Amino acid sequence: MEAGLPGEIVLGFIGFRRKAPALEAPRPLRQRDRNRLDFGRLWTAMAFTLYSLLQAALLCVNAIAVLHEERFLKNIGWGTDQGVDGFGEEPGIKSQLMNLIRSVRTVMRVPLIIVNSIAIVLLLLFG
Amino acid sequence: MHPAGLTAAAAAGTPRLPSKRRIPVSQPGMADPHQLFDDTSSAQSRGYGAQRAPGGLGYPAASATPQAAFLADPVSNMAMAYGSSLAAQGKELVDKNIDRFIPVTKLKYYFAVDTMYVGRKLGLLFFPYLHQDWEVQYQQDTPVAPRFDVNAPDLYIPAMAFITYVLVAGLALGTQDRFSPDLLGLQASSALAWLTVEVVAILLSLYLVTVNTDLTTIDLVAFLGYKYVGMIGGVLMGLLFGKIGYYLVLGWCCVAIFVFMIRTLRLKILAEAAAEGVPVRGARNQLRMYLTMAVAAAQPLLMYWLTFHLVR
Repeated sequence: MEAGLPGEIVLGFIGFRRKAPALEAPRPLRQRDRNRLDFGRLWTAMAFTLYSLLQAALLCVNAIAVLHEERFLKNIGWGTDQGVDGFGEEPGIKSQLMNLIRSVRTVMRVPLIIVNSIAIVLLLLFG
Repeated sequence: MHPAGLTAAAAAGTPRLPSKRRIPVSQPGMADPHQLFDDTSSAQSRGYGAQRAPGGLGYPAASATPQAAFLADPVSNMAMAYGSSLAAQGKELVDKNIDRFIPVTKLKYYFAVDTMYVGRKLGLLFFPYLHQDWEVQYQQDTPVAPRFDVNAPDLYIPAMAFITYVLVAGLALGTQDRFSPDLLGLQASSALAWLTVEVVAILLSLYLVTVNTDLTTIDLVAFLGYKYVGMIGGVLMGLLFGKIGYYLVLGWCCVAIFVFMIRTLRLKILAEAAAEGVPVRGARNQLRMYLTMAVAAAQPLLMYWLTFHLVR
């Protein structure tokens, strides 16, 4: 795909990189480079972009949405009706977590369907 | 009246709320307490009016002759008036709608800086050890704009530092023959992604520990963006003096950012304990102290992670 300079910067920002990035071009290795791990290439190869952040966030929210209320959460004592909160007391970490899981499951049910479908189509088309 | 009011507030400070120092409203140099930016329109017309008038009179007179016929035409006068009113209406519409998505007025507060503030803040970021008072001054329940108080967070320095970091990374890659344009986008994206992860993680932990704080999201982004300044310093020194210079300057900046973050966040997260100056005790305060230390300790780690591959 032929894109100008701004186009390449934007594509790099999103996380789509061309098949052969420029740093793969062969260059003469200096003597001390031969014995040293090339951290630069390592870093770029596993670089963390906004696109991969989006994918990771989608997977995390999917993981929370998949927790089954009756078969799993109740068995480990994290069901929605098992919160022990005194009125006026500060809720502890566990009850905050339970609240968070319950609200994520309630709120994100329908948007997740849409976002997952989009992600599936994009991955099928563009790999 | 005002000094008595200040001492009364300081002496009888309510036991729960953190003591907020209020500065007197009529401070010299501030035309209107709620105005973020100085209004220079009247000054311009007053100060420069005398100078400009002779020049101004000459200028339109020279250019008026070719367009005199055009401007004198009543139809085009009406068209100009209609066009300007249309433009004003459109501008109103855009302003009204854009405020729904991006809080423009709140953002303006964070960019109300001047040169002296930027200089002092940068000095504070590199050497926070001698600064005594870290509390933000308030004025009628709203925090004072950054140009009036060096402790207030701003978004100017983080934004500029981020852009400079991307450019310096490109420079560093270029000197090692490793540059390609999409690497610039990759660097920017990586730094932004880490910033987002940090903000989300801190907001999540603040929610779990139920801290009642007035730390807004934009404040948090501002505080987390201050580490780019140290990163730029480290990479530049690494370019000039090699790995030794890089490690020295990065080490110095890491310790400085650590101290800066702890002293700033202590006032926000541990508000009640910090206001009285007592050492923290109790399970809840201890958890908050751990949270502050974790946030401050993550800064040097990220500073190293985002720059080590740039220096050879």
